[in-house]
Amino acid sequence: MTQTSPVQHEQGELSLMAHLMRRAGFGATYEELEDCLAQGYENTVERLLHPEDAPPWDDSLFRRYHVDQNSLMLIESAQSYWLYRMVNSRSPLEEKIALFWHGLFATAYGKLNHAKAVVNQTDTFRRHGLGTFRNLLSELSRDPAMIFWLDNKDNHKDAPNENYGRELLELFSMGIGTYTEADVKAAARAFTGWTIANQDYMSVRASRDSIWPHGRLDWQFVYRPEDHDDSPKTFLNQTGCFNGEDVLDIICGHPASSWFLAGKLHSFFVSDQPDESATQIIAEDLRRTGGDVRSAMRTIFLSDFFRSERARYAKVKSPAEVVAGVARMAGAFGVPHWSIVNMALDANFMGQEILNPPTVEGWHTGTEWVDTGTLMERVNSAALLVGDPAQPGVQNIIRRLREAQPAYAAGELVDACLTQAGGLEVSEATHRELTAFVASQGELSFEPQFSDGCAEQRVAELLQLIVSTREYQMS
Amino acid sequence: MTTIAAIRYSHTVGSLSNQGRGFQNPVDVALDSQDVMYVLNRAGPELAIRLPYKRVSMCTVDEEFLGEFGTGGTDVGEFWWPSSLAFDSHDRLYVTDEALNRITVFSTTGEVLAMWGEAGSALGQIDHPSYIACDADDNLLIADSGNHRIQKFTTDGGFIESWGAYGNGEGSFNTPWGIALDGEGNVYVSDWGNDRIQKLTPRGESLEQFPRPGTKQPGADRIKNPAGLCVDSEGLIYVADWGNERVRVLSPGGNLLATLRGESRTPSWANEYFEANPEEGALRLEADLSPVLESPSGSDSVSDREESANVEKLLWGPTAVKLDGHGNILIVDSCRHRIQVYRRDH
Repeated sequence: MTQTSPVQHEQGELSLMAHLMRRAGFGATYEELEDCLAQGYENTVERLLHPEDAPPWDDSLFRRYHVDQNSLMLIESAQSYWLYRMVNSRSPLEEKIALFWHGLFATAYGKLNHAKAVVNQTDTFRRHGLGTFRNLLSELSRDPAMIFWLDNKDNHKDAPNENYGRELLELFSMGIGTYTEADVKAAARAFTGWTIANQDYMSVRASRDSIWPHGRLDWQFVYRPEDHDDSPKTFLNQTGCFNGEDVLDIICGHPASSWFLAGKLHSFFVSDQPDESATQIIAEDLRRTGGDVRSAMRTIFLSDFFRSERARYAKVKSPAEVVAGVARMAGAFGVPHWSIVNMALDANFMGQEILNPPTVEGWHTGTEWVDTGTLMERVNSAALLVGDPAQPGVQNIIRRLREAQPAYAAGELVDACLTQAGGLEVSEATHRELTAFVASQGELSFEPQFSDGCAEQRVAELLQLIVSTREYQMS
Repeated sequence: MTTIAAIRYSHTVGSLSNQGRGFQNPVDVALDSQDVMYVLNRAGPELAIRLPYKRVSMCTVDEEFLGEFGTGGTDVGEFWWPSSLAFDSHDRLYVTDEALNRITVFSTTGEVLAMWGEAGSALGQIDHPSYIACDADDNLLIADSGNHRIQKFTTDGGFIESWGAYGNGEGSFNTPWGIALDGEGNVYVSDWGNDRIQKLTPRGESLEQFPRPGTKQPGADRIKNPAGLCVDSEGLIYVADWGNERVRVLSPGGNLLATLRGESRTPSWANEYFEANPEEGALRLEADLSPVLESPSGSDSVSDREESANVEKLLWGPTAVKLDGHGNILIVDSCRHRIQVYRRDH
C-alpha cells in the first residue's frame, strides 16, 4: 500500500480510523474521520459501543414522504428503510451489529410473507445486539419472525418439531460436532409451547400471502404452558424438567458457545481468513464476561490483530456495505427521495437481498460475494452515485479540494481524492492507473479561466474510478 | 380531555387492493358536488411493477365502488408521489404531486384538463407540494412543504401570493402538511415540523396557533406532526395527528374536544373476500385482533405506531380528515388502506 495522504504525519492514524469506521460501520467521510481523530481512537471505539448515547433516531420525515416505508408491507420498502438507516445512522455500529446478527440468525421474508416482522427482528438486534449473547438468544427465541421461520409454532407437546432446536444448536450458538441428536430432540421439547398469537389465522394468511382486508398484522409471541412438555429431559449431559430458558443457560455455559460466537465475530468484523489465536482471545473475553458482546467488540477493536496492517482490506465488502458506504460518501438519501429503492435493488443484484437471505445459513461471504456479474453491479452502482456532482457529499469533496489549493497535478489530485473518499489506500499499481487517467487530461485547475467549468466533473469521474478499484471493494 | 359524545364510529370504506376496488396507502380524499369520494392512492415504492397501484379511486361513502383513473408514471396524468386533491366550484379536481412538483387538473371522469407547476424556490415555484385547498374565490392554496410556506395560485397556476418562510415563530413554518379553510376564509395550516396548527387570515396574517404558546397540556393530548385537517361550519377543527396515530377534534379556540384512535370493523368489500375464502374468514372470526401488547424488552412502553401495527382497528398513519355534507367525518387511514367513517350527530 502506498502512503497517499498529503498530511503524512496523520496518515497512520487516519488509516486506522478509516479501517475502524469501515468495519464498525459503513465507512466514513473525511469530515467524519477528522471528528473521530479529534476524539482519539479509543474514545471513538467507546462512542461506537454506546449507541444509546447518540441523539434519538427520528425517521418521521422519511415515513411521511415514503408512505410505503411507514407501513413496511412490501419487501422493497423494508429493504429501502434499513438501507436508509445504514446510510444516515449516527450510531453505525448499531446498524452493523444488526446486520451481523441478521446474517447469523438468517430469517427470510420469502417464507414469512411479512416484511415488517423481519424488520421488527432487526429492531431486536439493535436493542440487544450489544448485550449478552444469552439475552439475545432469549429474545430470538421469542421473536415471532423466528418462531414462524423455523416452525416453532408447530412445535407441540405431543408432536415436537425439531427445526428451531436443531438450528439453535447447529447454526446459532454452538456449531456442529458439539452436541448430539438427542440434545436436538431435548432442546426442541424444551421450546414446546413457545408460539405466536392467533397462530392458525396468521399461518393461513402467511401461506396464502393474504393481505386482506387491511395489510399485514404484526405478530405477537405467546407462551402456552398447556402445550409445553414439562417432563424431564437430558440436554448436554444435564437432566431436569427444562424449559427454553434453561436450555439457553446450559448452551451459554458451554465453552462451545463462546468459541462459536468468537469465530463468527472474527469472520464478520476482522477477516475473511480464520485466525485461531485471535478467535481464542475473543472467546476468552466472552467467557470471562458471561457473553457480553459489547466487551467482545471492545476487545476486537482495541486488539493488535484488528489494528494490524494484516487486517486492513482483508474482507470483501458485502453488497449492503457497498451501497450504504457509497451513499454515505455521496451524501445521498439524507432527505427523502423516491430513488432510494434503487439502492435496495442494487444490493439485490449484487447478491444480498437484505431481510431475505437465501437460507437459514445466511449468505456465503468473502470472495463468494464477487463474480463477473456482481462485480459489474458493484462498480456500476457505486459509480452512478459518486459520478453525480450534484450529490451533497460529492459537492463537499469538491469544495474541500478547491479550498485547499487552486490547482492539482495528477498525483496530487489522486492522493487528495483518496483521502477525501474516506482515507482509502491503494496499491502502487492502482495509484499509477488513477494518476495516468488524471494526467491524460492535464493538470486540474479550479480557476474558471482554466477549468472551463469541467473541474467538478473531472473530480466526479476520478471518484467513479476510485470506487471501481479493487481496494474500494474491500473493507 | 373533553369527549364529544356525539362523535361516534360509523363504518369503514375500503380494503387493500393493488388495482380495482380498494385502496393502497391512500393519503387524501375529496368529494365532488355529487358527494362522490375521490381517494388518492399514493402507494410505493416506485418500481415499475408497482406503479399501477398509484391511482384515484372513486366510490361513495356507502361503499359503492364507481371506478378509478390514473396510474404511476411521469407522463401527462400520471402520478409519482401524489399527495393531495381538492375540487373547485366547477368540479375540477386538482391533484398535487410532491415528486414531480406539479398540479394536474382532472375532470370528474379522470380526463386531464390541465397541468402546471414548476420546481424551485422562487415565488410561484414549488418544492414538494404536500396539500391543496380551494377557497371561496376558486383560488388554490398549496402547502409548499419543501419551501416551508403557503402559496396561493389561480386555478390555471398563476401565482398570487406567498406566506411564510422556514422557522418556528408566528407565521413561519417547518415542512407544513395540511391546509384548510373555514367559512370565513381563514386558513388553517398543519405546521408539521413545529407540532402545531396555525390559523391565518384570508390574507395570510397570523391569527392564532394551537396549542397556544404556554399552554400546559398532558403529553398524551399534545399534537405531534399534524397532517391533513378540515374545519366544520361551527369552527371545529379536525386534524389528523399523524405523529400520534390519532385524530384530534379541537374547539374554535383550540381546546381539545375529542381524540379518535380508530375503531374500524371489517368493511363490506372485505366481507365478500372472506365469503370466497371461508376458511380464512372463519379463522379471522376466532382470532383476537385487539391483543394486549407487552412492552418489548428494553423499552418502557409500546409506541403508538407499534400498537397500530398490531391492533387492526386502530388508525395507523392517518393523513387526512374531510367532511361531507351529511355529518360524516372521513379519516384517511393510510397504512391500513381504508377510510374510517365517523359521524357527528347534531
